[in-house]
Amino acid sequence: MIAELFQSISPGTLLATAVTTSAAGLWLLLPRGLGGGAERAARSLGGVLSLVALGCFIATGHRLGSVGEEAVFLIVSLLAVVSAAATIVARSPVYAAIWFAMTLAGVAGVLLVLGGQFLGVATIVVYAGAILVMFLFVLMLAQPAGLAPYDRVSNEPLLSAVAGAVLLGVLSLSIGRLSAPPAACCAMPASKAALLADAPSTDAAEPGVDLLADNHVARLGGELFGRHLLAVEVAGVLLLVALIGSIAIVSRGATADIEPAAARRAVP
Amino acid sequence: MNDLSPSTLLVLVPLLPLVAAVLTVVLGRTLGGRSFLPALAGIGGAFVVALMLLAGTAREAGLGSGDHDHAPRPVEMVTTLWQWAGVGDAQAAGDAGSSALSFSIPVALRLDPLTATLLVIITGVGLLVAIYSIGYMHGDPGEPRFFALVAAFVFSMSMLVAASNFLLVYVFWEAVGACSYLLIGFWFSKPEAAKAAKKAFLVNRVGDFGLAVATFLLWLTYGTLNFHDTSLADGTLVPGILGASRLADASAYVGGAVGTAICLLLLLAACGKSAQLPLHVWLPDAMEGPTPASSLIHAATMVTAGVYLVARTAPLFVACPGALTLVSIVGASTALVAALIGTVQNDLKRVLAYSTISQLGYMFVSLGTGSLLGFTAAIFHLVTHAFFKALLFMGAGSVMHAMGGVIDMRRFGGLRRIMPITASTFLIGALALAGVAPFAGFYSKDEILSSLHARGWADTHAEHHESAPGGDRAAGLNPFRFATISSEAPVATALDAINTPATFRLLFWMSLITAGLTAFYTFRAVFMTFTGPTRVPDEAGHHAHESPPSMTVPLVILAALSAVSGWWLFSTHSLASFLASTPSFTAPSVAATATPLAFHWDIAIQGTLAAAIGIVIAALGHLGRRSDGPQMERFLGPFETLFARRFFIDEIYSGFIVKPLELIATVAAFLDRHLIDGLVDGIARIPLGCGAVIRRAQSGLLQRYALAGVIGTLLIVLALVARAMGQ
Amino acid sequence: MTPTDTLSPLVLDGLVVGAMLFAIGLVGILARRNLIVMFLCAELMLQGISVSLVSWSRHHGDWGGHVLVILVLTVAACEAAVALVFVLQAFSRTGRLDAAAWQSLRESNLPRSIDHELPAIDTVPPRFPTLTRAGIEPAADEDRLLEREHV
Repeated sequence: MIAELFQSISPGTLLATAVTTSAAGLWLLLPRGLGGGAERAARSLGGVLSLVALGCFIATGHRLGSVGEEAVFLIVSLLAVVSAAATIVARSPVYAAIWFAMTLAGVAGVLLVLGGQFLGVATIVVYAGAILVMFLFVLMLAQPAGLAPYDRVSNEPLLSAVAGAVLLGVLSLSIGRLSAPPAACCAMPASKAALLADAPSTDAAEPGVDLLADNHVARLGGELFGRHLLAVEVAGVLLLVALIGSIAIVSRGATADIEPAAARRAVP
Repeated sequence: MNDLSPSTLLVLVPLLPLVAAVLTVVLGRTLGGRSFLPALAGIGGAFVVALMLLAGTAREAGLGSGDHDHAPRPVEMVTTLWQWAGVGDAQAAGDAGSSALSFSIPVALRLDPLTATLLVIITGVGLLVAIYSIGYMHGDPGEPRFFALVAAFVFSMSMLVAASNFLLVYVFWEAVGACSYLLIGFWFSKPEAAKAAKKAFLVNRVGDFGLAVATFLLWLTYGTLNFHDTSLADGTLVPGILGASRLADASAYVGGAVGTAICLLLLLAACGKSAQLPLHVWLPDAMEGPTPASSLIHAATMVTAGVYLVARTAPLFVACPGALTLVSIVGASTALVAALIGTVQNDLKRVLAYSTISQLGYMFVSLGTGSLLGFTAAIFHLVTHAFFKALLFMGAGSVMHAMGGVIDMRRFGGLRRIMPITASTFLIGALALAGVAPFAGFYSKDEILSSLHARGWADTHAEHHESAPGGDRAAGLNPFRFATISSEAPVATALDAINTPATFRLLFWMSLITAGLTAFYTFRAVFMTFTGPTRVPDEAGHHAHESPPSMTVPLVILAALSAVSGWWLFSTHSLASFLASTPSFTAPSVAATATPLAFHWDIAIQGTLAAAIGIVIAALGHLGRRSDGPQMERFLGPFETLFARRFFIDEIYSGFIVKPLELIATVAAFLDRHLIDGLVDGIARIPLGCGAVIRRAQSGLLQRYALAGVIGTLLIVLALVARAMGQ
Repeated sequence: MTPTDTLSPLVLDGLVVGAMLFAIGLVGILARRNLIVMFLCAELMLQGISVSLVSWSRHHGDWGGHVLVILVLTVAACEAAVALVFVLQAFSRTGRLDAAAWQSLRESNLPRSIDHELPAIDTVPPRFPTLTRAGIEPAADEDRLLEREHV
């Protein structure tokens, strides 16, 4: 029934509402140093508005083939997006990191639904397992006791929220127009289409089927270490350089900085 | 001398002092206490060369051959060193058929009797001053600077009188002015000296302006600035302003309004440099400079540059009788006013300064008569004045040296017992200045009065001469009828109306009174300084003594010259007949006024009487009395204030020129500061204000920058999307 | 297949999810001042990109998107390593994880922007579960003094 209600609204109105409510919701949710009841009220209102925005986006979404796939996709994408929003509105950076882990879980689910089996797992392993833990370590090292003032306020929350919402609207609009059949004016000139048609087809197989084969990981590995071997090598070198660079910066900083202790005490 | 051509010698006269000046500048510190050596050698060498040139020129002029009866022929020798500036080459100008289009300035030196005479005076007095300064400037920290400046001055002054081009004359006119400025302000840390130097410089600017404009007018009128004739590459002769070809033609000189304007501007220039009314105010203050410099520059040589200029351009002036008469009027007024002021001065050097102004006025009176006698008399007086005024100044310097820098005559007296040489030489100089026979000033002053008398009582004078031997030459021409000559001029100006015998009669009496006043103030100074009870100011300490030989020797030499030069030059008529060969004086309009040189007893008696009265009054007032007595106040009453305040001329200038200018400057400064600057500042505040607004975006907060970047990108994306949707 | 083909609904939804993650990450990186949270937001944006890439990969039936995401993971790891070192250095200089602590690029005559006074935190003090006391109370532990009151 709610879905029908949503579907009775035109897509343009839905998008405008989604942009407006998401901007207002994010603005209200972002930490603004209000404190007390005002803050609680603002966050509640922001939450409601954000949910409205989410509903709008769900309403503009597309029917997937199967109900199961649709439910799974809805759950994981909601998990990812809500957790992402929670990540940026959380006062405490530790909570933000934990929300980010939840986002990663959602993203991993989305990737799995989209056919990226290996990537879904790798995201969990690499991000949640390695990068996020590193973040938490740094937080433990650096975050002073209590809620720091700079965690309780934001930099230009309204403008930032509006900018993000407008960006989201523009992207949604563009994606929505991708779903429609191309207008005549946007059609490719015949010569270019012929050129593309003459070109040897890179993938003769049915779309999606190839990616979702049983030996998905093996084929990805083959692709990675076959066609993209050079990129892998570059990535490896990059990792090594980053490793050495981090160590170099840390060791030099340790000898160079004499005043940090004093500075730390001076600026709580 | 045989292997040295006159042109080489002529170049040497300015060159040696110039080299000396440069050497002194370069080696000044190395030489230390002997920094006078280059200047001494350079000026001495120049003096010797100048004497050789004088001898050569005299031979050329036929002097000593005894043929005085012949009309003097122009004697001129021009050496062109190089072309200084050329606008439009001579060939092109020749092709165009108009030499007036060609503007080329040759650095040309000339030698003629006038130049030769002045070169000898300049280098001779310069040499004596240099010798004198060895003693006078001894121990002064600026000694090298002084000698460098003196040498530079001798160079500039030699170039001024030797230059054969109006532009060069202008250049060195300025150069001597600069040397004068630097020497007046020699002790520049003394505020009075610095002020006096500034005053001299500024007052001279007025005159220099006249010379500059006169130069422009001369070029416009005559198409050249050269004194001498020049020939172009194609053989066309460009007649110089004072060249032989133009001099031969009596009507070649422009009279009327243009000619008068040129002459008046030249007179303005001469007034500035020679301290004539109304531009005389700088000279008394110029006494702040070292006394030798005063002696050389502000008594003997530089101040006579105006006399030289008028004498050099005599044909121009003779063509404009009004301007010429004005020269006399200016001279006589200056002579009288300066003499009156001089009577009440208590500062020895200032007495001499006013005396200088007064004597320069005499020379101008003489020039203004426009007769050959007047011109030669002016130069004659210039020569004798150079001797005795340099002598008096050096004597005053000697007194000052002994009195520890004190020059106020009321504070010392009876110095003849302490400084006998100075006193006796000073007395000779005073006698010469006062015009007592047979000292130099008597003869030159007598000639001046004669020339005036000749103009004032032309008819009687001519009759007077008819009985004289050789008078037949003058009879036919009646040289004193300038009215006839001026009527021949194309246009007679209103100014010419003052050229009447009555004017010259008045000027004669004024000059005679001045002669008496001159004798009075001169002997007043002598009596106050050297007679009466011996008193010495405290500054002199207990060792007031006669000056060293380096100072007294020049005094003696100059005293001898002051004593005998007048008689010698007059009795032999050598100077007058020599000068008559100067090209400027051989112009028909000038040469026609030649009169046989004679001694006029009536004028001599009048002049001597005036001098005697002056001396007697001075003796009554001051001989043997204390020099700080109130005689002058009692004697002159209210006039004393008038004279002592210099006829309030400085006050008039201050009130009518300086104060209004200051007011205008104040208003202009106010407008500049508040209106113009306010406008400019106001405009400058616009970008500042805009910047203040935009600057707030530069907060240093990186996230704001990132936000701005994102918003900007979004705007572009939105524009693109809107465009895509619109299609 | 050619670019003119319509996208499948799954791909479209994937793209929307990616866009939402990206936009949320952008808002976070613009608004939040904690350096570590900012990095988390940057990672969020990378996640959004990853989702988009995989969606396009699905659309095109091509492995390129997957390979690119693996590379993005690698670069993100490198970036995190280096950036966290920088964050630690910055922290050791100022004692804060505040992006606004670094303002020296501003115009020289502008005042340093400072935060206004914030209201007190009204959170309830944490109440940790306590056990019934038994035995002797242990001596105060030095480390407990450093324990954070609030995380």
